[in-house]
Amino acid sequence: MIPEPGEGFVRLSPLKLLLDPVKAVAQAVVPLVIALVGISRSDTKFWPIILPLVVLGPLVLGALPWLTTHYRLTGTQIQVRSGILNKKTSTAPLDRVRSVDLEASLLHRILGLQKVQIGTGVDDDRITLDALAAADAQALRTTLLTRRAVAEQAAPATMGRPDGLSPDQPDQPDQLAQPDGSDRPVVPAPLPAPAVPLARIDWSWLRFAPFSLGRLVLLFGGLGVLSQFADDLPIWNQETATSAWQWLTQFAVAAIVLVLSVSALALWLVVSVAGYVLQWWGFRLVREHGSLHLTSGLVTTRSITVEEAKVRGVEMTEPVLMRLVGGAELSTLATGVEDGVTQVLPPCPRGVAVAVGEAVLERPGPLIGRLVEHGPRARRRAWFRQLRNALDVIVLFAVAWWWFDLTWWWLAAIGAALLALAAAAGEASYRHLGHDLAGAHLVAGGGTFARIRTVLETDGIIGWVVSQSWWQRRAGLVDLTATTAAGTERVLVRDVRLDVAVALADRATPGLLTDFLDRV
Amino acid sequence: MTDVGGTPVLREPANRVSPQAVPFWTVSALVGDAVLVVGALLVWLLVPGVPGWAGLVVLLLALVAAAHVVLMPRIRFRVHRWEVTDTAVHTREGWIGRQTRIAPISRVQTVDSRQGAVMRLFGLASITVTTASAAGPITVDCLDADTARDVVARLTAITAATEGDAT
Repeated sequence: MIPEPGEGFVRLSPLKLLLDPVKAVAQAVVPLVIALVGISRSDTKFWPIILPLVVLGPLVLGALPWLTTHYRLTGTQIQVRSGILNKKTSTAPLDRVRSVDLEASLLHRILGLQKVQIGTGVDDDRITLDALAAADAQALRTTLLTRRAVAEQAAPATMGRPDGLSPDQPDQPDQLAQPDGSDRPVVPAPLPAPAVPLARIDWSWLRFAPFSLGRLVLLFGGLGVLSQFADDLPIWNQETATSAWQWLTQFAVAAIVLVLSVSALALWLVVSVAGYVLQWWGFRLVREHGSLHLTSGLVTTRSITVEEAKVRGVEMTEPVLMRLVGGAELSTLATGVEDGVTQVLPPCPRGVAVAVGEAVLERPGPLIGRLVEHGPRARRRAWFRQLRNALDVIVLFAVAWWWFDLTWWWLAAIGAALLALAAAAGEASYRHLGHDLAGAHLVAGGGTFARIRTVLETDGIIGWVVSQSWWQRRAGLVDLTATTAAGTERVLVRDVRLDVAVALADRATPGLLTDFLDRV
Repeated sequence: MTDVGGTPVLREPANRVSPQAVPFWTVSALVGDAVLVVGALLVWLLVPGVPGWAGLVVLLLALVAAAHVVLMPRIRFRVHRWEVTDTAVHTREGWIGRQTRIAPISRVQTVDSRQGAVMRLFGLASITVTTASAAGPITVDCLDADTARDVVARLTAITAATEGDAT
């Protein structure tokens, strides 16, 4: 049961007493083993001291947080008290609650627990309740979100000033106007708005998993770890390597390469599909209580809530491989979430990403509409930029070639390949380039190999940067950056003509530039 | 892409920075470049068996550094401009490239002024205006210290009068 507003402090779920020691042991296991091995080699007389420490330490450490952490709801706030010596009380006014995320690792799920994270719009400051019983966590989430909605509606009439809180942002003039009671249980029973489903997992989307390379990094990481062990294997020394190499060269090298690539491909298929299933099992995206609510996960379940009023735009990414099969990914750009970019869809068909994006933006068009092209000079810039990057790498190779005294055709082959790649990259990045002003949305196209389209509400624009490199000045082009508090905090319109950029900025934020414009 | 009333052209901000900025930038550049050139010179003199062309490289470096020290502050003084109206902050900076920044005062979150030891020597101060975006801080480098104080006071007064959470 979660506490009613106005009731006293309550503890977290008692099952936490099981959760934390296991987690502590799991975290401590590697250093412990190392320490134990070290000690057992050196001396055994410390064992009677160390063993109880090893066993009891995690138990005590695990029990402490449960004993010392309490939380309560008042009419206007959620308060969390924790710490033994340094008592800490975190307080969040209910109408500032921007997001309530639930997360459950496998261990959490076995114990029927969930971790609750409450975001309040201040970037790094989230209130974490780890852990509550699953039902309580859900109840708390619903309570916080509905209460926030009600608190916002009812703010002028019933809200009191949040007690003990400095009004750090002049956000709530109505509250400040009424400095009356603090812990008053406000809020009549809210009307639960019906949840509108926006998307759910469709297992035919699994076909996109192998084309999404995000997990490749993990795979390489895993291989790196494995190779560490491989180094320790006794067979792997100079002699076996040499003889193996001779054996290899005698063998058909092509066959080996083929087998290796096929098995690498198979491994990648398994890893990518398994990762997709693990992450996106039971994926649902719904709109409720004025928030976007995402749940997914097979082993670790996540439940992420983003307040729609804080969503300032979306970003659709089509990585180069995904485009071959018509796939895309979608993220929302929000303010006040610690990582402003939240991926709200798994890799899925482009049509789905567009539909969901338009539902979030509440207007059709910006994700598929044609963009204003930036013209031949921008194309030259795009080519030039990529070719220059390639030349840098070629120079590096040339130095290496000179240093190691390799044959010249290596250099020529690598150089030709790099230049061809650069040309392709240049042309691709120009084709992705573009901008538009679709109603109240600034649309920017970009990306080199991936096609990225960013849509930002013009209300979310809090400034402009017009920057020119020396090359851009010669071509009369600029990089126009709309600064924003949402997402990655900038939206870049690259290599656009100066006059077009100024006109665009002027139309996107009427009035802001007026003082600084001359009309010709 | 034309708008009503012809093509809008962004005019430059009204005010120049303090003329004292030129000697300040010269001194800063001189110190930085001198370290580099002297370092290179020492390597050339002290390391035995450096090839002959290394001397040429050092000479080239010294020439580039001298050009940097002489030209950069002057170009920069011509480029750097700033303006604060009742609604927006507008600056231009750079010397090889150009950066123009505009932020509405209603979205300004903090106003800082900074005066390093060398800057104090030249009676200069810098102002930094931040918004809720990491991409958006606007710095007006090398203002006359008195002007800086006035601008900070004015900005603080205007921002205090505006409401909203600036995101």
